Amino acid sequence: MTLILSLAVAILFASGAYLMLKHDLVRLIVGMVLIGNAANLFIMAAALRIGDAPVYPIEDETSDPLVQAMTLTAIVISFAVSALVLALAYRVYIAHASVDMRELSLAEEEQADIDDTLDGEPEPMLDVDDSSIGESSPVGAADAGEAKTR
Amino acid sequence: MIVLPLGILWFGAVLLAILDGTRTKNALLAIGLLASALLATIWLGFDIVANGPRSMVIGGWEQGVGITLSVDTLGIIFATLSLTVLLAALVFETANRVRARVFPALVLFMGVGLTGLFFTGDVFNFYVFFEIAMISAYVLASYGETPRQFRAAFLFIVVNLLGSMLFLISIAAIYHITGRLDMAGIAAQIPLVAESPVLLIATLIFVAFSTKLGLFPFHFWLAPVYTGTRPSVAAILSGALANIGSYGLLRFGADLLPRELADGAPVLIVLGTVSIIYGAVQSVSRHSPSEVLAYSAIGQVGYIMIALAIGGEVGFFAVILYAVINGLNKGLLFLTVGLRGWLVGASFVVGAFSVAGVPPAAGFLGKISIFWAAIEDDAWSIVFLVFLGSALSFLYMFQLYQRRFWIAREDEVESSRLPQVIVTALAIGLLIVGLWPEPLLDITDHAVSGLLDSPAVGVSP
Repeated sequence: MTLILSLAVAILFASGAYLMLKHDLVRLIVGMVLIGNAANLFIMAAALRIGDAPVYPIEDETSDPLVQAMTLTAIVISFAVSALVLALAYRVYIAHASVDMRELSLAEEEQADIDDTLDGEPEPMLDVDDSSIGESSPVGAADAGEAKTR
Repeated sequence: MIVLPLGILWFGAVLLAILDGTRTKNALLAIGLLASALLATIWLGFDIVANGPRSMVIGGWEQGVGITLSVDTLGIIFATLSLTVLLAALVFETANRVRARVFPALVLFMGVGLTGLFFTGDVFNFYVFFEIAMISAYVLASYGETPRQFRAAFLFIVVNLLGSMLFLISIAAIYHITGRLDMAGIAAQIPLVAESPVLLIATLIFVAFSTKLGLFPFHFWLAPVYTGTRPSVAAILSGALANIGSYGLLRFGADLLPRELADGAPVLIVLGTVSIIYGAVQSVSRHSPSEVLAYSAIGQVGYIMIALAIGGEVGFFAVILYAVINGLNKGLLFLTVGLRGWLVGASFVVGAFSVAGVPPAAGFLGKISIFWAAIEDDAWSIVFLVFLGSALSFLYMFQLYQRRFWIAREDEVESSRLPQVIVTALAIGLLIVGLWPEPLLDITDHAVSGLLDSPAVGVSP
């Protein structure tokens, strides 16, 4: 059983690592999810003991409840992070009209060139353009007005 | 008493999550909550220095069954440092106008994560708090919402999530070989286990924390992320979040796995050396301020690694002192990026002196403690290296100063007053620490003796 689980962890991790080397953002995210699942399986495998449910009264050998609790926590966390990273990939796609890693790094290089030609001149801090703030409420807009006058 | 700072931050963060953070009123509320959490932490710190480490079990479970929270001086130092940087960044951003409604709530959530992981006595709980801090950092990295920030945030998530997964795997592995999750239990069990599996686990933990810190072979994500994010977020990431790395290496390396740390010392020295030289050379060749600072951050981590490798009383003393001062430096310097005015120029000079290790700025203490550790260790090549690194950092910081503040530009507009005052306050803080270092030295000494005396966070209730 330990051998099967180790093999499963290894295959999951390897596939995840392979996918993470891809240029496509979506594949990259799938790779991250796979590695997360490899970690979850690894936790389960860390104290694998087949037995009864650990509920009182304990009669026979029980399985270890702690690893299950840990895995459950880890699953919840990796679920939240996956949702977050997918949302972020969507915003990257909206911003660049591309999910190709190569085009993103091209944009990064262009940005670096702009930074160099400006010779250390930073972006202005108080650029009051609200175009980037999607959900600014009327109240938020009023605050923006205040910032303008200040 | 332990839960007071955590509770303030936690309930504050949840409350603020449903409020609109772009309104000044709510941002001020967040500042008030963060400041009170900081005060509660300091109050707790006084108690711990006087009465020794405290611990409690969450939910009224028996000792050994429930999750323990335990605080010692080391945790207090790092919690105070992180909350100070977070507070400065939040005040700074409020003075500049908060641009996203979740920003104050995220800063508080990060405060929960950081304080929690500095206060926990359980490795899995450490991971959970660690993820709370990381997830808020993932969202914060995209703060500003320009394409550049999205790219930075994406890169940040991909690399650091991989680091977190390695850390999770190493925790499971620790549980597998020791059957314990509480730090005290692990520290007691580890010496009884054969060394080879533990060495593998120690390597995994080292890689995970070095990725957070941006040590040389794991640094590649750092420069685009620190330059891409907004100055306040860069200050949070490098001044507060990077503390996870230094604290984690101290807690896991010096406290739980001292044997493996001693084995790995040559590797740490080599990586630290490469980091210092690489960071300094890259910084000298860069132009944009945030890029110089980002590469400088890679170099500064090298000093922490070298001090950690030297180990012992002087080594750990230097690690803590250097990490604290480096966090404050980086918080200050990243906040000055994008500001203009003579106050900012003066503050930048203080920060630059501090990075280069020139008295009376606080950085002098950090550098001198590393010198001291190296001399104690009879490692003259390290003394030379630290000297070289300081000289190079002096060079790049003043190159930057010359380009930013000496050349008068016609189109230059002085920034509004409030952000300048905040930056100046931080700079004055650095000067005060440099001129009156006794409290910091005393508490660091206390933390080191706590670290070396009891193999793990005290179990005494």
